[in-house]
Amino acid sequence: MKALHRIEQLQNNTSKKSKSGRASLKESIEKSWSKIVPFWPLKNIIAVNPIGGFENLLFEDALSEANAYFQQKEIPKQMEQVNRESIKWLQAFFDQGQATIQMPCRNLGLLNSIRSLIRFDNCLGLKDLQKKQWLDNLPKDPEEVVERALWYLGISPIDQELFITLMLTSLPGWASYVQYRSNWTNSQEYENSAFDYRVEYLAFRMVLVCLIWPEAKKLILIHKNYRKKINTKTLYQKITESESSYQREVNKKIASMSMPIKKVTPNAQLVFCIDVRSEPFRRAIEAQGEYETFGYAGFFGVPVSVEDSVTKKAHSSCPVLLSPKHRIIEVPRVPIDLCKRGYKRLTGFIKVYQSLKYTFSTPFTLAEGLGIGAGLWMALKCFMPGGASRLKSGLQSLIAPQYSIFPEIDRIPFEEQISYGLGALKMIGLTENFSPLVVFCGHGSSTQNNAFASSLDCGACGGNHGSSNARIIAAILNSDKVRTALKRQDIRIPDDTLFLAAMHNTTTDQVEIFDDKSQAKAQRDIQYLKMDLEKAKRENSLWRIEKLGVKKSPYKSEQHAIRRAQDWAQIRPEWGLARNAAFIAGPRWLTKNVNFDGRTFLHSYDWENDGDVSSLTTILTAPMIVAQWINAQYLFSTLDNVAFGAGSKVTKNIVGKIGIMQGNASDLMHGLPLQSVNRSDQTPYHDPMRLSTFVYAPVGFVQKIIDEQASLQKLFSNEWVHLFCHDPLENKIFKLQKDLTWSKVH
Amino acid sequence: MSAWDQLFNIDRISIIMILLAGFVVTSVASFSYRYLQGDRKKRTFFLYLTVLFIMCLSIFVSDHLLILLISWGLSNFFLSKLILHKCEWPAARNSSHLALKNFSLGLLFLGGAFGLLYLETGETSIRLILNSSLRPEVATVASVSLFLAAMTQSAQWPFHKWLTSSLNSPTPASAVMHAGLINGGGFLLVRFAPLFFEQPMLLNIIFMVSMLSAFLGTFWKLMQSDVKRMLACSTMGQMGFMMAQFGLGLAPAAIAHLCWHGLFKAYLFLASGSAAQEKRYDFDSVITLKQLAFSSVCGAIGATSFAWASDKNFLAGDTTLFLILISMIAGIQFSLPIIRSHSKFKIPFALIASAIMGGFYGISVFCVESMLEPLNILSPQSLNVFHVFALLALVVGWFGIIFIKSSNQISFPDWALKIYVRMLNASQPHLSTITANRNQYQF
Repeated sequence: MKALHRIEQLQNNTSKKSKSGRASLKESIEKSWSKIVPFWPLKNIIAVNPIGGFENLLFEDALSEANAYFQQKEIPKQMEQVNRESIKWLQAFFDQGQATIQMPCRNLGLLNSIRSLIRFDNCLGLKDLQKKQWLDNLPKDPEEVVERALWYLGISPIDQELFITLMLTSLPGWASYVQYRSNWTNSQEYENSAFDYRVEYLAFRMVLVCLIWPEAKKLILIHKNYRKKINTKTLYQKITESESSYQREVNKKIASMSMPIKKVTPNAQLVFCIDVRSEPFRRAIEAQGEYETFGYAGFFGVPVSVEDSVTKKAHSSCPVLLSPKHRIIEVPRVPIDLCKRGYKRLTGFIKVYQSLKYTFSTPFTLAEGLGIGAGLWMALKCFMPGGASRLKSGLQSLIAPQYSIFPEIDRIPFEEQISYGLGALKMIGLTENFSPLVVFCGHGSSTQNNAFASSLDCGACGGNHGSSNARIIAAILNSDKVRTALKRQDIRIPDDTLFLAAMHNTTTDQVEIFDDKSQAKAQRDIQYLKMDLEKAKRENSLWRIEKLGVKKSPYKSEQHAIRRAQDWAQIRPEWGLARNAAFIAGPRWLTKNVNFDGRTFLHSYDWENDGDVSSLTTILTAPMIVAQWINAQYLFSTLDNVAFGAGSKVTKNIVGKIGIMQGNASDLMHGLPLQSVNRSDQTPYHDPMRLSTFVYAPVGFVQKIIDEQASLQKLFSNEWVHLFCHDPLENKIFKLQKDLTWSKVH
Repeated sequence: MSAWDQLFNIDRISIIMILLAGFVVTSVASFSYRYLQGDRKKRTFFLYLTVLFIMCLSIFVSDHLLILLISWGLSNFFLSKLILHKCEWPAARNSSHLALKNFSLGLLFLGGAFGLLYLETGETSIRLILNSSLRPEVATVASVSLFLAAMTQSAQWPFHKWLTSSLNSPTPASAVMHAGLINGGGFLLVRFAPLFFEQPMLLNIIFMVSMLSAFLGTFWKLMQSDVKRMLACSTMGQMGFMMAQFGLGLAPAAIAHLCWHGLFKAYLFLASGSAAQEKRYDFDSVITLKQLAFSSVCGAIGATSFAWASDKNFLAGDTTLFLILISMIAGIQFSLPIIRSHSKFKIPFALIASAIMGGFYGISVFCVESMLEPLNILSPQSLNVFHVFALLALVVGWFGIIFIKSSNQISFPDWALKIYVRMLNASQPHLSTITANRNQYQF
């Protein structure tokens, strides 16, 4: 009796203790996860700063923190085993449609589904009955499991947070994916999203550690010892040096420009995404005649998700920082039944193939039956990629013809249509002097056999092509009702001004204008514009192909660019946003006659139309942040392509349709592949430096924004982004210091 | 026989194999030329690829035991080099070692068999050996040893680990491997076919052992969540099926399978970068008996058309029937999605499509088989209980997948979970070839 009583007492004590312990555990878990940034899957790769979890530190310190957590070359053998087992299960659990026989019990959540399976796993030494019993007696609640495991491993409350962090950072890719699934997805996208994967993941890792390596406490000491050896000073210096020389150059270029006096109405005005790939193309089209170009975030300010009315597939087409407010349906211009029938035919063929491939007994026959075809198709794709691509699209359009589409913008309430239209025009400073044609030009890439295809698409559209958003904003601004409403806001769009949507293919430089030919009057202007776009394409292809290390005549380089886009063996179809370095917010004349070599994000901004600094606030807190994420992604993928990048495409292995592993099995390799940032295995192409932002506005404007925005204060004072202000009133250049004061630049 | 003839034997098998290897290697070389742009090992890759190709040619044309043995060893050595690519990456190094170990074992089996044959006959020419009479026990030991060598080469259970652990190699190296040297096992068996055909019991054993690999490989393939390991497991299964065809006494069918599968798999490897974009369409409802009945009719028509086009006799009652029945299963599976669609003309369409596909399939098999006809390596066995058993297992496995795919089961019995975990573990790559700490990876 007495003994029983004592046990009860003990239990009471622990439960009391655990209540206060629970709060601190919750905090430790939260803090540990704050070091992990999300990793978006291959279908829409979003650039993030891989060490964004350390943005509350000075950049210099963050470098060594990142090294301590993510770049350790040696880990204990037992921890390697923990990782191997983790990879095995995570791969099976998070599979998004690769395996035909899926992991059972996935509906129980990460922790409990795997727990119901590892009971039978003889890789974990469960022959030991004590271990098995321990496993069987674990509570269902993941947080309790973490608590139990910490106690089992003998981790003191002081070391608790560090240990939990190490559980995450020793397999950082998967942790990042879990972070994405927990905080950046919605329930429509994934099944079983009700679970808090962050705690589940942690509990799962801890259970494995307890089973495999009960002395895992040593990890803390190993980490602390490793820390002492870290030195990132020279790296930091190297980065700073290349940054300051680059900044001097840009400051000089900008300062030498002066405002043009006369204003003529251009033949056409084209609005491009701020993406660095727009900069050389804008120069190329401007060189062809009287064209005015603008830079604006590629989703053109309309936060929507877009649904294909035929396939019923939908995707968000706006920056991940926003959640889509409207669902827009894209409808074909021909009877929809026609399209649906075509689509059914096409999927029918695929279904037959897949049903033979992904089952038992029939793949033997499938291989024999398709061998000749597969072989010929392979040879055609290897030796004549262009021919293969034409053949494929020819067959495809025979089975399911493609038709032009338009967005149903009625889904957006009228008031909001006005505000989107107004917002877009005001933000870029296009409020008067409209040309007969105003083109909103989204962008996207076209590549073959490329796991990282979406990393070349529009980041502002959530890693998708930007044409949908261009169509929507053009449709809004073409609406008579909207134009009447805008008149009341003092924006007078002439009746003969036509807004058009277009798409810039960044791999081939082809710009496709989506014109429904309804405006007969504009046809001549459109034809001229198309001809000039062709010339610009040739000019820009020549320049881009040279950057890819190929020298060819203008015509041939155009062909070469197309071939790269169609070639399934091509490992560098285009350079993407490599070498990006600066973000410039200002009017076009400031940057128009300067060759920025495709390294700058150009955002149109007119301070004289922005008395309440609302436009500049948006620019600095949204597009600039996106630019910084992109910049940091390229920067760290270049600095250490193993820890922060994806490694070489040559040995990649796509896992679960979400990401890649290297070879047989490895951590989920988040970040950019080697081929996106390096010319060859040894020579980088990207120039690793932090983003430098240049704003053409009075210093007071910028100061006011920084005073109000804590997120910007953090970025600037911790030196994650450099900020320069070209003050038009004082005609001077200022640099923002670490302590958030301004110093004059000479 | 002249001295030259005792060294080399360029027959129709050699020509088929040379055509296959040449076709795959040129395609892959063209692919790699762009794919390895900027890779510091590009030159070495091409060097090894060339040497490997030459060694393969030597295997295909040699009639001399020693030449075959040496080229066998060298080609496998260079294959393991091709797998390695970046020797700074420990996991890749281990993959290469593992393959080399396996190949060494294979070479030992092969050397043993060759030694024995030489001692028994005093001949070094394969053709002369096959024409001379051997003592039955010697024939048995030699052919078992040859079969073991073939098993290591074609990654048959239990010698499969090197294949499922070989994915640290560059994609084009995998493509070459899965269309090339892995077929060495099949080629070896066919080269010595007359020796095997005299031992029906051994053929049965080959059939059963190979069917086991076919089962395991296919099953593992369906479980994998990464594209390359899925392809590797699938190759293991396909090789099993190919060797099982040999075990049925149908050597020409084995060669046909080996060729067409090689091309198919090489293509799939090169295209593996698109795996994330591939959308999977699954059956959304349970299959009804009526649908199954209709598609069985289509399957039967497809199988008839296949048998007719590939000049196979339905009524012979020998092992050919096995292949015809397999093609019937495929015909049923082929017509199921059509029968289940909502098209008005689905039934006539399914009937015609099955007949056409069966015919097309028959012709592609016939192409290879008719070319091999003069070699007299076709020796269908009479059907026995093993064949029936394997066929039943194939049907059950196939039904099982249809059932799993079309049911939304929430809870599973313990034995099912246990099988899942066992199979998942069995299909994992060798521990030392996994990059457990990402910073150990080197490009």
